[in-house]
Amino acid sequence: MPNLLTLVKAEFFRLNKYNLFTANFVVLIMWVVLAYFLEAEMLLRFIPFIFFMDSIMMTILLVGATLFYEKKEHTINSIMVTPVTEHEFLTAKVLVNVVNSLITVAVISIAVYFIKEVTFNYLLLLPAIVLVTVVHSLIGIRLSYSAKDFTSHLINYMLYVFIFALPPIFALFGIISESVSRFFILLPPEASSVLINTAFTQIEAWRVVFSYIYLIALSAMLYMFSVKPKFNEYLMKETGV
Amino acid sequence: MIKVRNMRYKYRNSSQYAVDGVDFNINEGEIFGFLGPSGAGKSTTQKVLIKLLSGFEGEIEHRGKPLASYDDSFYQDVGVSFEMPISFSKLTAIENLDFFKRLYKKTVDIEPLLKRVGLWDDRDKKAGEFSKGMKIRLNFVRALINDPKFLFLDEPTNGVDPANSRIMKDMIREFRQKGGTVFITSHIMGDIDELCDRVAFISQGKLREEGSPRDLKIKYGKRTVNVEYRENGDVHSQLFSMDEIKTEPFFNLLRNKEIETIHSGETTLEEIFIKVTGVKLRA
Ligand SMILES: Nc1ncnc2c1ncn2[C@@H]1O[C@H](COP(=O)(O)OP(=O)(O)OP(=O)(O)O)[C@@H](O)[C@H]1O
Ligand SMILES: [Mg+2]
Repeated sequence: MPNLLTLVKAEFFRLNKYNLFTANFVVLIMWVVLAYFLEAEMLLRFIPFIFFMDSIMMTILLVGATLFYEKKEHTINSIMVTPVTEHEFLTAKVLVNVVNSLITVAVISIAVYFIKEVTFNYLLLLPAIVLVTVVHSLIGIRLSYSAKDFTSHLINYMLYVFIFALPPIFALFGIISESVSRFFILLPPEASSVLINTAFTQIEAWRVVFSYIYLIALSAMLYMFSVKPKFNEYLMKETGV
Repeated sequence: MIKVRNMRYKYRNSSQYAVDGVDFNINEGEIFGFLGPSGAGKSTTQKVLIKLLSGFEGEIEHRGKPLASYDDSFYQDVGVSFEMPISFSKLTAIENLDFFKRLYKKTVDIEPLLKRVGLWDDRDKKAGEFSKGMKIRLNFVRALINDPKFLFLDEPTNGVDPANSRIMKDMIREFRQKGGTVFITSHIMGDIDELCDRVAFISQGKLREEGSPRDLKIKYGKRTVNVEYRENGDVHSQLFSMDEIKTEPFFNLLRNKEIETIHSGETTLEEIFIKVTGVKLRA
C-alpha cells in the first residue's frame, strides 16, 4: 500500500482546508476547559466519557463530514483513475480517524496531568482507542454512504446512538433488568466502553478479552461484508456523473 | 494497442444497453475520435476503457492483455479528463495538482503545463473559485501530470474559449508526436476534424461508421466539382463530375470565364454525423 501515507497526509491537509480540523479542535478545547473545572476524583470518572465521545461520536461525525464534501465534489472519480486502490482509499480514511483520536488522547492526557495531576493506564488505553476508532470509522463510512446528504447522515447517526448507546444508559439507571443487560456487551458502544474503561478501573478479564475479540471480528466483518460492498455501490453510482 | 470486440455495457438500474456491441481498435500513437449524439454511449465507452465501469460484456485488450487483468498500476500510464471538471474546491490549483502528483511514480513539472494553459497566475486561487473553462483546463493539466502514454479525454474543449481550445489541441497533437495514444470524444466537429487520425460514429450504443476524417468525407461526399463564375454581373454555377474535369468543357470554363469559387463535393464531418447517426447536432 505505497499510497497510504500520501493519502493520510493529504486527508489531514484537506481536513484543515475544509475547516473540519478546527471543529474537532474546538471540541477538544471544550473538554479541556471542562476538565479544568472538575475535581480530580470526578475528573477520573469523566475522562473515559470524553474518550468515549471522541472516538465514537466525533469519529462518526467527522467521517460523515469529509465524505459529504467528497460526494458533493465527486472527487472519488478522479482518485479512482489514479494508482490508488479502493482498499488504500478506505484504509486511509480509517487511519486518519485513528490518528485524530490519538491526538485527542494525547492532548487530554497531558492537560489533565498538568491541571490536576491525574494519570491513568496509558498502555491499556491506546489499543482500546485504536480499536474503538477503527470500528466506528467503519460504521461512520457505512452510515455516510447510505445517506443522501449530511442531514440524513445525522439522522442515521442519531438512530445509531439511540439504538446502541441508550440501552446501557437505561441499564445504569435500572430501567432495564440485569438479565437483559448482560448481553449489552454485544452492542459496539458498550464493548468500546469496556475497553476504554480498562485504563481506569478493574474490569473482569473475560469482558475485556471478549470485547477485544468481538470488536476485531466486527471490524473485519464490517469491512468485508458491509463497507466495501457499499463503497463499490457508491463508486458505480458516482461514475454516472 | 486497444482492441474492443463486441463490447456491451448495461447500467445496473437500466434495462437497455448503453453501449450495445461495439468493435474498434485504437492504434498506438493515434488520436481516435468518438462522435455521437447526446446519450449515444460515448462517456460510457470511455469509462469502460479506463476501468471505471466493470462488468462489461465482450472483450477489451489493452496492450495485448485483457483489460481485467490489470490492477490499479494500470493508471500509472493513463491520463483521464472527465466530462464534468472535478477538483477539491477548497484547495488551490497547485494544491489540487500536488495531491494527484504524489500518487504517481513518474511525474512532470507542473509549472510549464500551467503556464501553457494560462493558469500559472491563478495557481494559488482556490479551484472552487475558478470559472468553468479554468476548471476544465485544470483537469486537462491533471490528466497530463503523470506523463501518461494514454489519454482519455471526454469532451475536453467543451466550454473552453477558442484561444485556449487551440492551445489544448496543440498540446494533444504534441502528445501524439511523442508517441502518445488518445481517445477523445467531442461534439465539436471542427476539433475532431483537425485532431483525429481516425473517428468512429456511435449512436444508440452502436457504431455506425469508422474511418479517417478524410476518407469519410470522400466516401460520403459527391465526386463533383462546382465552379462559380461571373457573367454579365450575375453569378452562375456549373457542376462537373470528377471524370469530367479532365475534359474540354471544364478547361474552357476556367479559361474563358471570370471564376469566383471552385469547390469539390466532399462533405463535412457534420453532415456525415447527421447522416450516419440520424440526429442533428446539439450545439
Ligand atoms: N449512471 C448511469 N446510470 C444509468 N444510465 C446511465 C448512466 N450514465 C449514462 N446512462 C445512460 O447510458 C446512455 C449513454 O450515456 P453516455 O453518458 O455514455 O452518453 P454520451 O454519448 O456520453 O452523451 P453526452 O454527449 O450527452 O455526454 C444514456 O442512455 C444514458 O441515459
Ligand atoms: Mg458524455
